[in-house]
This record gives sequence, structure tokens and C-alpha cells, in this order.
Amino acid sequence: MQPCVLALLLLALFCSRAPALYFHIGELEKKCFIEEIPDETMIIGNYRTQLYDKQKEEYLPASPGLGMFVEVKDPDEKVILSRQYGSEGRFTFTSHTPGEHQICLHSNSSKFSLFVGGTLRVHLDIQVGEHANNYAEIAAKDKLTELQLRVRQLVEQVDQIQKEQNYQRYREERFRQTSESTNQRVLWWSIVQTLILVAIGIWQMRHLKSFFEAKKLV
Amino acid sequence: MTPVRRFLCAWLVSLPLAWDSCGVQAAFSQAMDSDFTLNLPAGRKECFYQTMKRDASMEIEYQVLDGAGLDVDFSIFSPSGQLLFNDQRKSDGVHTVETEDGDYMFCFDNTFSTVSDKLVFFELILDNMDTDEDPENWKEYVHGIDTLDMKLEDIMDTINNVKARLSKSVQIQTLLRAFEARDRNIQESNFERVNFWSVVNLVVMVMVSGVQVYLVRSLFEDKKKIRT
Repeated sequence: MQPCVLALLLLALFCSRAPALYFHIGELEKKCFIEEIPDETMIIGNYRTQLYDKQKEEYLPASPGLGMFVEVKDPDEKVILSRQYGSEGRFTFTSHTPGEHQICLHSNSSKFSLFVGGTLRVHLDIQVGEHANNYAEIAAKDKLTELQLRVRQLVEQVDQIQKEQNYQRYREERFRQTSESTNQRVLWWSIVQTLILVAIGIWQMRHLKSFFEAKKLV
Repeated sequence: MTPVRRFLCAWLVSLPLAWDSCGVQAAFSQAMDSDFTLNLPAGRKECFYQTMKRDASMEIEYQVLDGAGLDVDFSIFSPSGQLLFNDQRKSDGVHTVETEDGDYMFCFDNTFSTVSDKLVFFELILDNMDTDEDPENWKEYVHGIDTLDMKLEDIMDTINNVKARLSKSVQIQTLLRAFEARDRNIQESNFERVNFWSVVNLVVMVMVSGVQVYLVRSLFEDKKKIRT
């Protein structure tokens, strides 16, 4: 079965070249993406870089020396992944707290000559949760029939939806608390403001009256 | 390798062509989708590109989640450089494009804003992307269990149906999450504003009352001198 597994892996690699979104990044530029995810969710990011070749006037795969530095921060601004990868790479991390995770990419190039064109083309694909599962691998490892694999996919998908819903409930509760706190503060402040105005008015009148009496004007 | 093993091997090898993890669907063309949230600094323009095939469709939905007026300029260009859609200072929008071969470019423009960063969420839903793959050919390699084939196909159809609906649920969930994030950001900025202006109000009131008293007193100090 060895050549079979090899062929599988090759195909998996081939599949990772499915048309993905791409963008241009400058040499010292840092591009960040925010992913809001529930906890215990796995994220797999695949990227591929291309460098502009001025002679051929097209984008060619970048040399291995030109790598990308990937940094992932969790919702508490703590760095959970900080690594350098080659010109083509895949990074994985699992969230432990629900919230907004920040994925930042910047190139590690210090060789200015390689960046003559000024921009690097980066193809990026980020897969969250259930989408990150490699079903071909799971099917091969657990020896599942097509039906079993489909059912497994459905179960994972429903799990993901349920996790997301739980997270949504927690966020909505926090949102409601903020709203109620704001409303309370507005109400409380209006009452206090009125009382302060009345108190200041009374104090002013009393103080000025005693002042005039002291100056024998009244 | 025995023939059975060879068939199983070929079947397993063809499996990746059929599964979601490659973005190619089997037995029905379903959508491939990806979403991104990014921070657009003030005065910047960010462009993204997507390679498309002909006769596919691309749906792009975007929303501004945070930042001052919650608006951004959006535009889509075809591979030939022609402007397809242009939204000026919208807070959210959705566009569907029937595509040809080439790279489509879409841009988010925050150049009109000098101080505020915008948090932009966008979702790309691609349809009919697998026009050059034949997803059915691996079925030729499945042997045996002939009597179960008919019923199995019905079950498979139902399961595929359920999967399609669940994918749609996931898409809607992503969208709802974006809406909620935007509302939450609005509310949190309201909260901060209420706090800030309340404190400012208090300070101003106290200062004004002090100034008033001082002025009136100083007015009568002078008058006393004139009297005597």
C-alpha cells in the first residue's frame, strides 16, 4: 500500500493548490487577518508566495530563501504562534479561548535585491474548524466506506455549528450586559445631574445672599 | 499487489478529488467559501484577487464591523480591468458576478477617512468551480454490494442534501456573527462615549458654578469702593 499512500499525499498536496484568494504585500508590510472563533477550534492556514520577475514580466514561484513570518495572537494579545516558514507553508493552531484571534503575515526578506518589483504575491487560504479536517486522511486511516465518511462529515459539521452557537450565546450575553450597563449609567447620570444642578443653585443663592448681607447691600 | 487491492488503492487515490478539503465537490456542485476579517487603516486601500474559471459564479458579501461612520468604498474589477461594481461609502453590500477566466480584483478603500481605521469583514462564495473535474469517475472502481446499490443511492442523496443545507447554515451563521460583531462594536463605543461625556459634563458644571460665584463677588467688591 506504500505507493498508494504516497499517491494520496501527492494528491493532497495538489489539492492544496485549489484557486485561493491572493493579495500583494510590500517588503516591510505586515498584513493581519482577524478570525473570531469559539474555543477548541483548529485553524489551518495555507499560503504560497510568488515573486514578480521583471524580465519575464510575470509572477514566478519565489526562491526558498524568501520566507514568511507568521504570528498568531489570541484574544488576550498573547502570542500563541510565532514562526517562520518557507516560501510555501502551512501553519496550524488550536484556539483555547473563544474570541478574536489575529493572524499576521510579513516577509522575512532582508535581501533587497530579491524584492526589485516591490511586491510579493501571497496566496492565502484559511480553513476553520470542520473545514480543516483532511477527510481523505481520515478515510484512509479508519478505513471508512463512502457512506461512513459522509456521515462522519455531517457529524463534524453539526458539532461545529453547535460550538459556534454556544459561543454566540456567550457573546450575546456580554453584549446584553454592556447595553444594560450603558442604559443604567445614562439614567443614573441624568438623575445625579439634576440633583447637582439644584444643589449648586441653592448653594449659589445662599452664598451670594450672605455675601451681600455682609457687604451691607441688602 | 492483488487486483482487489489495486482497485481499492485507485479508489482511495481518487477520493481526494471528491472531498471538500480540496474545495472540489462530488455528485453536486456546491459552493466553496472563505471569509476574512481585516483592519483597514485610515487612508489605505486594500485589494484582493481571486482566480476564476468561466461559467462559475462568485458572490462577495462585505460588512464594516467597526470604525467611525462604519462605511467603506468597495469596487470590483474584471480580469480585463473593467469596473463591474462600485459602492461609495456603504456599510454593507452583496454582489454576485458570473465569471470568465481570469483574475478578478476587489478593493476596499478607506482613503476618504483621515483618522479612523475600519474593521471590514468579507465573505467569498464560489460556485461551479469544478468544471474540469469529473467527480463521478471513481464510482467505477466500487465493486460488490450490487444489491444494495439502489437503496444506497437514495441514502447518499439524502445525506448529500443534508450536507448542502448544513453548509448553508454555516454560511448564515458566519453572516449573523458579523452582524452581531458590528452591533456589539456600536454598543461598546456608545458606552465609552456616555462615560466620557458624563465626566466632562460634571467638570464643566462645577467649573461654571465656581466662575459664576467669583464673577458676581468681584463685581460687588469694586462697587463697595465706589460707594465710600
